[in-house]
Amino acid sequence: MDTEERLFKFRMPQWLNSVWARNAGVYAAGGLFSAAFYILLDAAVWSKSARNASDVHVTFVDWLPFIFSSLGMLIINSVEKTRLSGDSFSYSGSGVAWKARVVLFLGFAALAGGMAGGVTVFVLGFVVPGVAWPAMGMGVENVVANALVGLSTVVLWVSQNMEDEYAYNLAL
Amino acid sequence: MPQAGLKTIIALSFVLAVGFLLVILSCALWKAYYPLLVVATYVLAPVPNWICSHCANPDDFVESSGAAVLDLGRFCTGFLVVMGLALPVLLAHAGMIEVPAMIMSVIGGLLIYGTIISFAMFFQEEQEF
Repeated sequence: MDTEERLFKFRMPQWLNSVWARNAGVYAAGGLFSAAFYILLDAAVWSKSARNASDVHVTFVDWLPFIFSSLGMLIINSVEKTRLSGDSFSYSGSGVAWKARVVLFLGFAALAGGMAGGVTVFVLGFVVPGVAWPAMGMGVENVVANALVGLSTVVLWVSQNMEDEYAYNLAL
Repeated sequence: MPQAGLKTIIALSFVLAVGFLLVILSCALWKAYYPLLVVATYVLAPVPNWICSHCANPDDFVESSGAAVLDLGRFCTGFLVVMGLALPVLLAHAGMIEVPAMIMSVIGGLLIYGTIISFAMFFQEEQEF
């Protein structure tokens, strides 16, 4: 392990590579995605509840950015990570690494598009019409939900990349 | 140490009963029975983990598909756990239950889930041998 070529000055601490940290990362990713979903659902339920005095309501358009973010997350985490490195000879045959990178690019585009869509819904639907604060929360929740989906993707990605180190340790 | 095990079981069942008491009280005191959904969430939470651990072969390190199925189960379990915490907050925010009911049902849910986790932690090692 010491002979590997490192890119950064600080190496990842040893405890972060354990199975425990990896599993905790996957659980945390599920929790973050759940938080994102329920924050958006909260906006929808609050919109129809008696507390919403304004005539601003959550429609399908408000859900669209979240759907795109989730689609991006699904695509990103479905790609087999080991196929990405074109260095290994056995995997780079017939352009698998190239295809994996294209699919990954589509996934990140969907994720970023979802986040941009969340901000767009917030600005065009809530800031520009000048919605008062308790109803404004629905737009803020939209942005927060899409950001949480992005965070969940990052957590899941990082904890899945720990897997290689773990498998390597076990093989030795 | 059978004595320590017995005390642990008694303490855990006591905490579990307190958790269920809090959840049921949070429903019954305000005559709004939405927080009972939380109990269903906590019962369902270990199910994806359980199913996926049967689907995957954990000894298989060459093909990472087994690990992917395990990860999917963990992801769904994490989703359900946070759902149990988020549901009362959502209901209270929408005005369907009162805020004290929300606090009681969240604390009750945390107690129930803490009991399940500590029960699994205490008695998991005996199964391995």
